[in-house]
Amino acid sequence: MAFDSDVKPDWCPGCGGYGILASLKSALTGLGLEPRNVAIASGIGCSSNLPGYIRAYGFHGLHGRPVRVAIGIKSANPSLTVVVTAGDGDEYGIGFNHVINAARRNDDIKLIVSNNSIYGLTTGQASPTSELGQKTKTTPDGSMIYPLNPLSTLLGAGATFVARGFSGEPKQLTKLIEEAVLHRGFALVDVISPCVIWNDTYAKVRSAVYKLEDMDYRPDDQVEAYRKVNETPGLPIGIFYRTESKPTLQEMAVATNGGMKPIDGVRNLEKREAEDLMREFY
Amino acid sequence: MAKTDVTVRLGGTAGDGVQSGGELIARIFSRSGLYISTYNGNQSLIRGGQVWFHVHAAPWRVSSLGFGIDFLISLTQSFYNEHHQSVNDGGYILYDASVVKADDLPAGVTPLAVPLREIALKYDKRPIMRNVVAAGALAAALGIDKKVLSEAVSQQFGSDTLKGNVLAGNDAYSFFHERFGVIRKLDYCPVSRPFMTANEALALGAVAGGCRFYAAYPMSPASSIVHWMASHSKSLGITVFLGEDEISVINSVIGASFAGARAMCGTSGGGFALMQEAIGMAAMTETPVVVVDVMRAGPSTGLPTKTSQGDLNMVLGIAQDDFPRVIIAPRTPQESFYAAGRALNIAEKFQVPVIILLDFSISEGGYSTVDALNFDAPIDRGKIVVKGETNGVWFKRFELTPDNVSPRSLPGTDGMMFVAKSDEHDEYGHDLSDVLSGLKESVKLRERMYEKRMRKLDLVRKEMSPPEFFGPDKADLTVVTWGSSANPVREAIRELRSQGVRANSLEFSDLYPLDATKVRRILQGCGDLLGVECNYTGQFSGYLKRETGVTVERHLLKYSGEPIYPVEVVNSVKDALAREVSAVA
Repeated sequence: MAFDSDVKPDWCPGCGGYGILASLKSALTGLGLEPRNVAIASGIGCSSNLPGYIRAYGFHGLHGRPVRVAIGIKSANPSLTVVVTAGDGDEYGIGFNHVINAARRNDDIKLIVSNNSIYGLTTGQASPTSELGQKTKTTPDGSMIYPLNPLSTLLGAGATFVARGFSGEPKQLTKLIEEAVLHRGFALVDVISPCVIWNDTYAKVRSAVYKLEDMDYRPDDQVEAYRKVNETPGLPIGIFYRTESKPTLQEMAVATNGGMKPIDGVRNLEKREAEDLMREFY
Repeated sequence: MAKTDVTVRLGGTAGDGVQSGGELIARIFSRSGLYISTYNGNQSLIRGGQVWFHVHAAPWRVSSLGFGIDFLISLTQSFYNEHHQSVNDGGYILYDASVVKADDLPAGVTPLAVPLREIALKYDKRPIMRNVVAAGALAAALGIDKKVLSEAVSQQFGSDTLKGNVLAGNDAYSFFHERFGVIRKLDYCPVSRPFMTANEALALGAVAGGCRFYAAYPMSPASSIVHWMASHSKSLGITVFLGEDEISVINSVIGASFAGARAMCGTSGGGFALMQEAIGMAAMTETPVVVVDVMRAGPSTGLPTKTSQGDLNMVLGIAQDDFPRVIIAPRTPQESFYAAGRALNIAEKFQVPVIILLDFSISEGGYSTVDALNFDAPIDRGKIVVKGETNGVWFKRFELTPDNVSPRSLPGTDGMMFVAKSDEHDEYGHDLSDVLSGLKESVKLRERMYEKRMRKLDLVRKEMSPPEFFGPDKADLTVVTWGSSANPVREAIRELRSQGVRANSLEFSDLYPLDATKVRRILQGCGDLLGVECNYTGQFSGYLKRETGVTVERHLLKYSGEPIYPVEVVNSVKDALAREVSAVA
């Protein structure tokens, strides 16, 4: 496959990362995209090693910041497909401010979060999505804090595409990623991706998940989407909400930057432009 | 010797139009062919408090606030109380007797009562035009052509209030002329000089240098850069991004640069503190980035509208461990213009972060000391390639080359994919600790990658300008200074010379990397050294000592938030020389 890397993942056997990687690769391939036109930004943690395992342009940066790197890439070159792959610690903890603002501004990036409700690579501390009562190294008596629901929070922030997948359902996940990439604007695909070492919830998740597309559910009603993303104990997966009624930030930028792509514009000023600029200073 | 320059300080409360009145005075001078330097004595508020605008003007190249105050224009009693004792012997105070009681006058100071309020009220229901009225009176006092006044007023104000302003200014001019006549006259000429701040000059220089992506979070005194960029974005084709914080700003710039845009961002010290981690990442991933730090007085949020040169240690020591960085501290708006283009070139040629240090005193102060600017500066994007070595999967983005600069490919280029890695990596961008952890090869590669990044500085060093002397060749004492502090020092050197004191200055604007051997030789060839900078510990002297082993023994260090005044330098130099003499005796 065009997106195959020669570097093999160093994830633990059974890690949800494999499912996400496979789904992302087949989604990009299925959409007929070329590796040269795809840029994947990531942060820190097991899941953020992903760009090395997929043949495309990649930026493996800092904890919590990949969304901002991605927005820089997309703004500079809007013809690229820009994807962020990172974990729940990255995107719902340290970097959540950036995610909220990306959703609010409808930045045209695709955010795929490997959500395992634990800090894995740092050996098992509580994350923003850890369950109430979840025992971790930092919550030996069980977490006393309610978990963040990223989907409802981002719906509130104005996200135009909100979906949840499961790494154990790679076929559906491929479809969700395809839809996210095709979406006009910011797209969140929260992927329940259990950590087999520190928080193995596979059995629990498997017993709770069901697919929205098997139900009579249409992802065009925001109020209904709020109800659905907060549903318990069932764990719906699929697209909760989608609207293409809002322009993306990158589309709107065209009105403010004279329609010039930053990557195309590196040039000296023309004599006339320089004279016009200097006139202001007299 | 007759004075050939003039200093004016206009003051009142915020909301009195002090800023626009000051700008108007500056405009009147710059249209009369004078060189000017201005400074905003601001408070961090929108209305109330006490604000002032200081102008120094002369037919020669002024570079600082000058010596004392020749004309104090006071719109309020409290401003009068605070500043009237600073008026020079032979100077004047222009005030409205219905508002200000001008008592306790210093010797040799002449009061000039002008009904500012009364004249202003003739043209508007509110006395808002007092600033224009004051400027009109001042123009008359200095014997400036009335036509210059009306032209400057027309240029300054929008069309809805224009007529009243012009009439009010002219009215005040006539009143003053009839009552007091011309008080002083300078050498005027019909040349109009451009008037700009270092922030504006830097923004101009950046777009002239091909900058096409600018990001910022609002922070005084850097905000006027993003304001300028935003107001010109459409006509010049610049993408301007206002981030939710400085972390988002710098990471977006890095993303844009990775994608192939010429990108930069600006902030002040507090915002720069937030950016540090990402600047380390830019160095590690060898992504070009230019960051402007417009210094204000700190620490923490400090004095938001006051000046300082206190961020030097921070930028010398950004983030963890060692990595290459380039630091440029332009002395003037003129130099800021060229620094921006240079910084973008250096960043892209060597794939390193470049930091430009400005400060409040030049970035918010206006100067009409800018000559014809060259907008055709060369744009050098460095090694951007469309074909290079790959293993069929990955491009050798971090290739070890003889000059230690690797070719880079931009996303969208066929077959040249790579991962920019913030972790230590091999030539393809693969993670060393994951792929080769614990292996001998990884230890060697780590060292070689580290050296590759650091040794780029050897090439950069060749592009850096050595420090520049100002003043006589032979001197008993050399003032060592950097960035904008060079300006008041220059005027002090001129003054000292007229007093027969042999002193010169050594001005640094390219700070890092330094040619330590060359600088050591220069310093050792000087007489006594006096360090002048705007911070408490003498950060630059500390840096010089570390780099060259030369100790600057005496200092004039200012950390009040106000810029250095030439008179302070004059006194320090004389002090230092006197002590030297008594030590020998």
